[in-house]
Amino acid sequence: MTAPTDIDAIRAAFQADLGAVATEADLQTVRDRYLGRKQGAVAALMKSMASAPTADRPALGKAANELKREIDQALATRRQTLEASARPAGGVDVTLPGRETPFGRRHPLTLIREQVESIFGAMGFETLQGPQVEDDYHNFEALNMPPDHPARDMQDTFYLDRPMPGAGGTPSTHPATLLRTHTSGMQIRYMETHQPPVRIIAPGVVYRRDTPDLTHSPMFVQVEGLLVGEGITMADLKGTLVAFLQAFFDADTRVMFRPSFFPYTEPSAEVFISCVFCDGTGCPVCKKTGWLEILGCGMVHPAVFEAVGYDPERYTGWAFGLGIDRVALLKHRVEDIRLFYDNDLRLLEQFPH
Amino acid sequence: MRILVSWLRELVTLPVGSGSPDSPVTIAALADTLTMRGFEVGAVEPWPAGPANPAGQPGNSEPPDAVLDLEITTNRPDCLSVLGIAREVGTIYGTDLRMPALWPDDDDQRDPIAVTIEDADLCPRYVGALVDVEVGPSPRWLAARLEAADVRPINNVVDVTNYVMLELGHPLHAFDLDRLAGPEIRVRRARAGETIRTLDGAQRRLEPEMLVIADAERAQAVAGVMGGADSEVSGTTRTIVLEAAYFNPISVRRTGKRIGLSTDASYRFERGADVEAPVRAIARARQLLATIGAGQPRGPAVDRYPTPPAPIVVRLRHHRIGHLLGLTIDAAFVAPTLTRLGFDPQLEPATDPPVWRVTVPTFRVDVSREEDLIEEVARHHGYDRLPTTFPALTQPAPPPGPWRARDHLVRQLLTGCGFSEAITYGFIERAPALAIHPDAQDIVALRNPLSEKGAVLRPSLLPGLVDSLIHNRRRERQDIRLFEVGSQFRHGDGETPALALVMTGDAVARHWSGPERKTDLFDLTGVIARLCEGFGGVATFEPDTAGHLVPGRTASVRLRVADQTTVLGTVGQLDPGFAHTRGLTGSDAVYVAELDLRPLTTDRFDHLQATPVPRYPSITRDLSVEIDDALPAVRVRDTIRAAAGPALVSINEIDRYQGPGIAAGAVSLSMRLTFRAPDRTLTDTEVQAATDDVVRALARAHRAKLR
Ligand SMILES: [Zn+2]
Repeated sequence: MTAPTDIDAIRAAFQADLGAVATEADLQTVRDRYLGRKQGAVAALMKSMASAPTADRPALGKAANELKREIDQALATRRQTLEASARPAGGVDVTLPGRETPFGRRHPLTLIREQVESIFGAMGFETLQGPQVEDDYHNFEALNMPPDHPARDMQDTFYLDRPMPGAGGTPSTHPATLLRTHTSGMQIRYMETHQPPVRIIAPGVVYRRDTPDLTHSPMFVQVEGLLVGEGITMADLKGTLVAFLQAFFDADTRVMFRPSFFPYTEPSAEVFISCVFCDGTGCPVCKKTGWLEILGCGMVHPAVFEAVGYDPERYTGWAFGLGIDRVALLKHRVEDIRLFYDNDLRLLEQFPH
Repeated sequence: MRILVSWLRELVTLPVGSGSPDSPVTIAALADTLTMRGFEVGAVEPWPAGPANPAGQPGNSEPPDAVLDLEITTNRPDCLSVLGIAREVGTIYGTDLRMPALWPDDDDQRDPIAVTIEDADLCPRYVGALVDVEVGPSPRWLAARLEAADVRPINNVVDVTNYVMLELGHPLHAFDLDRLAGPEIRVRRARAGETIRTLDGAQRRLEPEMLVIADAERAQAVAGVMGGADSEVSGTTRTIVLEAAYFNPISVRRTGKRIGLSTDASYRFERGADVEAPVRAIARARQLLATIGAGQPRGPAVDRYPTPPAPIVVRLRHHRIGHLLGLTIDAAFVAPTLTRLGFDPQLEPATDPPVWRVTVPTFRVDVSREEDLIEEVARHHGYDRLPTTFPALTQPAPPPGPWRARDHLVRQLLTGCGFSEAITYGFIERAPALAIHPDAQDIVALRNPLSEKGAVLRPSLLPGLVDSLIHNRRRERQDIRLFEVGSQFRHGDGETPALALVMTGDAVARHWSGPERKTDLFDLTGVIARLCEGFGGVATFEPDTAGHLVPGRTASVRLRVADQTTVLGTVGQLDPGFAHTRGLTGSDAVYVAELDLRPLTTDRFDHLQATPVPRYPSITRDLSVEIDDALPAVRVRDTIRAAAGPALVSINEIDRYQGPGIAAGAVSLSMRLTFRAPDRTLTDTEVQAATDDVVRALARAHRAKLR
């Protein structure tokens, strides 16, 4: 290829050649082609000026010098770009393990609790926390379990050796004397200070004086739900819990309600789900029944409403209690409840961040 | 409660058998139905037909027999009996009850025994009757029925009392008349200092609030709980005094708890017996004793019942059933169901929808309100037939409590720093509690701990978390970072939310590209600084001491948010002695922190207003000074901040050196100071002037030498 001799033609050709430059060598070739001392297009241009009319020479010379400067600058810019984009020589063994960035996990019981909170949250429930050290009134008496009630045996209780002042730092006329056996005390605390409608859940640890074994722990996590308003029915309870259980476990989960007894609800029910291990066909976990007991619930007993000053003629409501540990055992097939409190990282690290 | 199906069949017609057209319902189906009506059948045990049949040998048509193992909820003591379950079965299948044969009493005769109730508050009714007996073994069928119910046969007299308790649900007791001080029964509170030897052979001290059954001289039974050994029926007994009474449930419960006894009788009495049952129970026992040839009733039963209470009548409004359940149940189902269950529903005239006045039978101690009756209707109608509806939301949910965002953020930040969440028990051993919180008066102790391992409520989350760290350490886990969010308990502060962190092992793991680095205190203070920063604050650390932490490696943690500074807690290296006592082996240091969660809030993020990003460049200056090595770095910082003027935006300690070239007892500290003004580009002169001020101030305050 012969270098063009016309200034504009040289500029255009240079731009095209520069655009095609990919390597340092390309760049050098282009430099030689245009700025080469002997063969370069600009040098040729200079030489050709000798045959131009004398009057035109100064203007031509100026234009040629400008072109030279312009090309020089463009080549320098291009060189910088090429240098900055230069790829390192040599590779690494990409299969070697990367450096670990440590990250921890939330406790599985926290994960389950947050799931429960978020499902009920979407249904308009407010999440509350109550004190773990409770008084007899809120844990038992206001829940229709007066002193010497046999139902108190169902929840063997830890007592303090002397009362602690004001449960949870809140002023209370009742000295805190025991570890709550359920989170139901929060029902009472909330209704004492709020008028219906009520739509709350109260998760938290509770204590029962049970000897630890595969399915019992003297401390466990429970979540309590309470809904009170006008015209609230047991069918609503059923609908809400079915919706929750299907959201939590599986859309195909079947749910069964069975009569039961709790002093603070009437009527009361125990709720079962189709066994998650055998899909309801019967296995050792469900004792061949196909069903797993999952929670207790019922319509709030009018005596509970009377204790908090609600009119049981006007308001109806329901409550339920769900063992977070129990659903964690079932959902994640952990075989021993005590593992949750060992905090063995080999278990914890199986759960998502 | 174990119930023999053939016995049940005696009291109610069961359409239960083989599943043939004549008896379409199988025993398994009966068990399922009972379960769905609130009486969980835990097991159906096949049982040989025949031995428990009073007629003797089984015929060809003898249906299969079985024992139902039923779980009876505490509110239904009436169903701790064949009769109670028969009544439920009759309601399920619409069949009638058959009451067992009773001894016809002859009221004309004189009382054969004197009965006096001195404390009618604890014993509203007492029935006593005499039977002349010939003590011996029970007939095979009777013993077989007791055995099916897991009751050990003893002799015909005792067996009959147990039989009647199982059949009718009412406990009976038999005294040997000849071993009483005459034909006289006194129902009274125990006397101060009175004792009794009970049937189990134990000598028991009675207290004045306990009710006893006494003869003219002394206590012969702890009422409703256990009889006395001195008047026990034996092989030589000729006449018995049969007792059937109603005892106050609370009194029986308290007495049983006080003397540490729970019996079949006390179990029933404390849940509530049927005040109308005693006469029938006595008549049934006398009939049975006569039938099996064990005895001959003598004279009438003596019934002391000073003040029978009025029957309980509850109004049941039909519309209220639908109101509570969300399902209208036909009135034609309601009344017959209640009637079969033993209630007496009388329709109030001219009510539409109907209203019944329902008389509650005395055996239904659990029913006193309309809701109780609605449950009976719902139970037998079937919970499975209730529709599933959804409650309307009538107002928006209130905003979540601030603790939720706080706890969530704490978990997010700490898991991001490599810490996993632990949950440990709320109760711990006393010694580690005291080691970390030495104020014994402040420790909340349990009155009835399961064991010494859970003697006190945790005054700090640390002991439990350290135990979890050790648990992992013993399972080949070297690098451990755990945190816990939870309540701690103190008499002074009550229950407060706290956070604890523990950390040990390598901070940087060994990797093919370089060596590992052991965790040190600054790994943990760095995490705490990040936590505080996450809450929009700044952490500062001051030298401190604590009994469970290594001196010189302990700091108090302060949180500065805006211009407020609060003490957040303590961080330090755990005393190796403490860790060793808890079972830690090895020499790795354990770093711990415990923080109060209350000062951490996300409130400020709710009205956070962004400051403009810097528009002018910053200028940095590195500065190395030689200072006393005992001088805390935080003091140097304070001095620099005070001297540098407002353009100083940050101080970074970039090097710390001791060794050749530095005097003994001194340290060279290098810092990078960053200056920036919000409104202009700083000049070198300005920055140099500020740096010179800093150097002079350091020299003045700490005799620092510029290097
Ligand atoms: Zn199963």
